[in-house]
Amino acid sequence: MVVAGGGGGGGDGPDGGRGAVLSEHQTLSSTSPPSSEILTIRKSLLSRERKAVEIAEEYLNRLRQTEPQIKSFLHVSENVMKEAKEIDGKIERNEELRPLAGVLIGVKDNICTADMPSTGGSRILQDYRPAFDATAVQKLRESGAVLVGKTNLDEFGMGSTTEGSGFQVTANPWDVTRVPGGSSGGSAAAVSARQCVVALGSDTGGSVRQPASFCGVVGMKPTYGRVSRFGLMAYASSLDVIGCFGSSVADTAILLEAIAGHDIFDATSSKHEVPNFASQFISTEFSESKPLKGLRVGIISETLGDGVDVPVASTIKAAASHLEELGCAVTEVSLPSFSLGLPAYYILASSESSSNLSRYDGVRYGNQVAAEELNSLYGDSRANGFGPEVKMRILMGTYALSAGYYDAYYKRAQQVRTLVQKSFKAALSENDILISPAAPSAAYKIGEKKNDPLAMYAGDIMTVNVNLAGLPALVLPCGFVEGGPAGLPIGLQMIGAQFDEGKLLRVGHIFEQTLQGCRFIPPLVAESVAS
Amino acid sequence: MYSSAVIWVKGGAPYLLLQHQQKQLFSTLSRKKTPLWFSPPSTTPRNFSARSSLQPLDVSRLAETARISLTPTEVEEFAPKIRQVIDWFGQLQAVDLQSIEPALRADTEGDNLRHDLPETFENREAMLAAVPSYEEPYIKVPKVLNKD
Repeated sequence: MVVAGGGGGGGDGPDGGRGAVLSEHQTLSSTSPPSSEILTIRKSLLSRERKAVEIAEEYLNRLRQTEPQIKSFLHVSENVMKEAKEIDGKIERNEELRPLAGVLIGVKDNICTADMPSTGGSRILQDYRPAFDATAVQKLRESGAVLVGKTNLDEFGMGSTTEGSGFQVTANPWDVTRVPGGSSGGSAAAVSARQCVVALGSDTGGSVRQPASFCGVVGMKPTYGRVSRFGLMAYASSLDVIGCFGSSVADTAILLEAIAGHDIFDATSSKHEVPNFASQFISTEFSESKPLKGLRVGIISETLGDGVDVPVASTIKAAASHLEELGCAVTEVSLPSFSLGLPAYYILASSESSSNLSRYDGVRYGNQVAAEELNSLYGDSRANGFGPEVKMRILMGTYALSAGYYDAYYKRAQQVRTLVQKSFKAALSENDILISPAAPSAAYKIGEKKNDPLAMYAGDIMTVNVNLAGLPALVLPCGFVEGGPAGLPIGLQMIGAQFDEGKLLRVGHIFEQTLQGCRFIPPLVAESVAS
Repeated sequence: MYSSAVIWVKGGAPYLLLQHQQKQLFSTLSRKKTPLWFSPPSTTPRNFSARSSLQPLDVSRLAETARISLTPTEVEEFAPKIRQVIDWFGQLQAVDLQSIEPALRADTEGDNLRHDLPETFENREAMLAAVPSYEEPYIKVPKVLNKD
C-alpha cells in the first residue's frame, strides 16, 4: 500500500483490504494523490503558462454551474476578475508575485470583510458591511489572494449542518440530498466542489473538522491563539479559532502560514513563531518505505466504540493500519474524561454565546425593529433577527449563568475543561499524535436531525474536547463509506500538542500522498477538474 | 448576569423560591457554598432530574432576561427542548470535581496585552453608516424609561 516515490505515477488500484467503498468513477487512472493547487497556480503564473484571469474564470464558471445545487455562497464578490487582472498586470511588469497571488479564497461569513457583506449567517446582520477587515482577511489580501466571496454557515457558527443559516441550506457536493456538515459547511462544500481553491472557516467545537470530513476535504483547526480572532464574530471566545480548508494538506498548510501570528488586536493571539509548514514536508519522491518510522500514534479508544457507525470505525482502523505501514507505532490510548467533554462544551459555549451575542441589539448596527421604548426595541430586534437555534442557545446560556446556577454549570464545566486538558497532556506525553474519526457518521440527510438538538449535539463528540484543550487538529479524507451516488467521504482526525501544527501537516501530507485508491473529487465536478 | 438574576427574583417568578432557596441563592453570590439542590457531589443523574423539578425552567422569564421577545408558540416549542438539554447538562453534577481547578480557557499562553493607549479608528464614516437610526451626532433610540 505504501508506495515510495508515488508522487506522480497514479495508483496501483483500489486496496481491497481497506474496507472502504470505491465509487465507479474512481478508475485506476484517476487515483493519483492530490497536489497543491496553490503551488500549481503559482507555477503556471510564473511561467506565464496561464493568466490569473483564466484561472479566476475557470473557478467562477464552475461556481456558476454548481451553485444552484450547492448554495455554498451567501455573497460572491464583484471584484474577482478585476483583482485577477491586476495580478496579470503585475506579472507583465515583472513585479514580485506574492505567495497567494491569483489564489481564489472563500471566507466564512462570520469573518469580517470591509468590501463585502458579513452576516454571520444571521438575519440580524442582513446587508451589514463591517468598517474593517478581520486580521486573517487583511493578511490574505497582503498575500495577494483573490477573495471570491462569503460562504454560508449555521447562524453565528451554532450548528453542525449549515441548515441553521438564516438564508439558505447548503448541500453536500457528494450527495445534494445530504448536509455538508457545519458550521463551516459553505466553506467545506465550496472547496469540495472546487468553487474556490481554499477557504477560511472557524472552529468552536468542530466547525471546520466535521464539515471537512463530510465533504472530503482537508480541514485544519489550529491551536487556540495561533490565528488572530480579531474580526471573527465571537461565539464562544474561549474556544473560537479561525481554521483552513483545502483540497490538499499542502494548500491547507500554505493558507495557515499566511493567516497565523500575533496580532495586537487580539490579546489571546500567540507570539509563537510561525514556521514555513510546507517546507518541512517530507518529500514523497525520495521517501523511504517507512517515512514515519518511530512516530508514536495513539488511537483514542473512546472514539471507536458505541455511538460510532461501524463502517466509519473500520475506515479509521484501516487508516491506522496505513500509518503503521508508513512506520508509525500505533497503540490504543484512553481519555477517561472524553464523554464529559460534550456537556461541558455545550455549557461553556452556550454561556459564552449568551454574553457575546448581547451586542446584537439593533442599536449600533444590524436590523432594527421600530418600537415604542428601548427594551422592546432590543427584544423585538433580537426576536426578529435570530433564528431558533441561536435563541435556544442564548436561553440555555442565560440559564447556566444565572445567579445560583453558576457553580453548578459554568464552573463545573470549567473544571471538566481542566480534566480534559490534563488527559490530553498525559496522552500526548506518550504519543506524538492522537487519532480518531472526525465525526461518528458520514454526512446525513438534510432535515434528519433538525428537530432533535441532542442528536445533533451528539455528533460533535469527536471534536469538542480538542477545543476545550485548545489543541491543533487536522482532518483529512481517508476513505469512503456507502451512501449517495458515489460513496461518502470519511475524515481522519489527527490531534497534536499545542503549536505542533507542523507535525500534523507533515504526517498528514505523507498519509495523503501514499493513500492509494481514493480520489476525493465529487462526481458533480469531476469532469471539469483537470486531473 | 448576577444583577439581572437578582431582578428576576425580585420580579417574582410564577414559581416562588422558597425562603431557604433564596438564602442559598444569595450565599452563592459570595461563592462560599454550593446551592443545596446541586450537592452532595455524589448525586446520581436520576436524583438530579428529580431535584431539577425544584427549579422549573421558565422560558418566558429567561427570554425576558436575555431580551428576546418570544411568541407564545416559541415558548411552547422551545421549553421541552431547552429542558431536555439542561437536564442533560445535569450529568456533570454526578462527577467528583472537588479538587479540580476551573480552567478559563486553553492554557496555551499568557496574555499578550498591548499598551493601553488610545488609537484613532480611521474608517469612522463606515461605522456610523451602519447605525440604523442616526441623527448627527447622536445614535437615536426610543425612550429608555418604562411607564411602570
